[in-house]
Amino acid sequence: MRRNWGKRFLIHGVLVPFLFLNFGRAQNSSSEDSETISALAQQIRELQQHDRELQERIRLLEADQKTGATVEPPAPVSDASPPPAQTPPPSSSPEMHLVHGIQWRGFAELDYKVLDRRAPELGTYGFVPGSAGNFYTGDFDLFLTSRLTERTSILSEIDVEEGDAQRFRVDLRRLLLKYDANDHLRFSFGRYQTSIGFYNWAFRSASWLQTTADRPLVMEFASNGGLLPTQAVGVSVTGSIPSGKLGLNYVAEYGSSDTVRPDLNGDGLRNDENNGNQVNVGLFLTPDRFPGLRIGGSIYHDQISDLVSPAPGPGGIINPGDNGIVLSPSARLNQTIINGHLVYLSHGIEFLNEAFLIRHAPVAAGEVFNTPAFYSQFSRKFASFRPFFRYQYVNASLKNPIYDDISLRYGPSVGARYDLNDYVAFKAQWDHTERRRLPDLNGLHLQLSGAF
Amino acid sequence: MKRWRRSVLALLLPLLTTLVLITPGTAQEGTVAVIVNPRNSITDVSSSDLRKIFNGEKRSWPAGVRIKLIVLAPGSHERLVLLRLLGMSESEYKHYWAAQVFRGDVDSEPLTVPSFGMVKEAATVFPGAIALVDARDVKPGMPLKVIKLDGHMPGDVGYSLR
Repeated sequence: MRRNWGKRFLIHGVLVPFLFLNFGRAQNSSSEDSETISALAQQIRELQQHDRELQERIRLLEADQKTGATVEPPAPVSDASPPPAQTPPPSSSPEMHLVHGIQWRGFAELDYKVLDRRAPELGTYGFVPGSAGNFYTGDFDLFLTSRLTERTSILSEIDVEEGDAQRFRVDLRRLLLKYDANDHLRFSFGRYQTSIGFYNWAFRSASWLQTTADRPLVMEFASNGGLLPTQAVGVSVTGSIPSGKLGLNYVAEYGSSDTVRPDLNGDGLRNDENNGNQVNVGLFLTPDRFPGLRIGGSIYHDQISDLVSPAPGPGGIINPGDNGIVLSPSARLNQTIINGHLVYLSHGIEFLNEAFLIRHAPVAAGEVFNTPAFYSQFSRKFASFRPFFRYQYVNASLKNPIYDDISLRYGPSVGARYDLNDYVAFKAQWDHTERRRLPDLNGLHLQLSGAF
Repeated sequence: MKRWRRSVLALLLPLLTTLVLITPGTAQEGTVAVIVNPRNSITDVSSSDLRKIFNGEKRSWPAGVRIKLIVLAPGSHERLVLLRLLGMSESEYKHYWAAQVFRGDVDSEPLTVPSFGMVKEAATVFPGAIALVDARDVKPGMPLKVIKLDGHMPGDVGYSLR
């Protein structure tokens, strides 16, 4: 009897609950196994990376000891006196590559685009205008940064962009010497991307970082037919303004743009705006109460001309008189760009809304042109899949000497981004564009983009 | 009577054993402490400031020292708490930091380490270090400083980071 009681104790008291719990766990864990394995594999990769970096640090320390260098202990932190600037040890971030103190990262893409019209339309990023459809490589970006001191760093972005007939153009998109005094005062000197609106501030050349396959037309790079001066050389200051829970930030830029934008309508002309020095001031707030929300605006001013010339022929040679075009006289215009934006980015939701008013007023007497434009983009992430919808609108007067090629363009874009892994994404996008006095344009854009 | 007692025991034992086995599982969902370098004079941080620190918006301590973010590798409980604080998934977090660096807003992504031991080591080395760790791992005498979150220490009623 006592032996039976012992058996019952073992079976009922220990084994049944144990099996019960494990059964429950097995059911729960079956769906988490793959995540756990991938997380463990990731940890192993990071451990290996960290091990390599530690080995490198040991090697450097041993080399220092051989040369008699000493390691100073870290200075104490106090509110009264910040410690002297010191160069920190190399970061062990797995995402950036470190070579002799220079961190670098690359971005690349492969595109396929097809339009339902063979009528000439500007080919950007290697798309051949008038073709039924073709492959091109778009932008290839090399991004390099290096910390010089505790507060000073240098940043460069070198872009190799495919043009017509598989010719490639190298562009130094950004070259900045940065000095961060504190959270309220950060300086950048050099070639920067203007902070007109949110999109140009948030997204650079790398397509992998943006949800859609291309940029909204109003935010397209000027060298690809976009409306705004997207690049400038000068100084940019940004930082936060003490404002409590409002989270107010500012940006102020002063520089030279010199925008040259090709006409979008495929007439083979380009407009050299010969910009004067530009001033751009912006404010935006990120309220504590609504994490992910950003509301802001900016105002930009410079003086430009409307000097029209033929686009470069093969080999980049410009022949005035090509296409029977005579260089137009250059009128001087005041250009003012006002932007307002409302953005929400959190919990897998991306909701971008921006509106612009671009005003061109002759310095001498003449007609004033106002060009309104906006885009709205919504996307929601479901695991690796992110469907998106965008609607954009640009309305320029046909008489506007700067935007006579653009006229009225509006329509939706629908598509999806699928992240194959943390570094490669595939995007499919369908665009429908309605144009004033021209047939509607439908396009399919497929893109494979990645970071390395 | 004895038989009746044995039957009651036979019914109760599985329940008690189940409770014993379940209890350690719930305890794993521990409170997460905010730690900084012991020489940092800061003693308290608000939830909104903590979010701004870990999303790179706030980059300096009041004393002017640059903030150094130290985060545990994916898969850890502390990492999940961090992602919840930021309202991001793991892939969104990686994408977000790649964009932050590429934009030029920050020099580098947060230092990712695989274990508490390495967090401890890094928090000692970097004067501006801040990290989220399991509160049970922090023992008296360790060269770390646990700071309050919205006026509460880990374990206090109203402490929100768990």
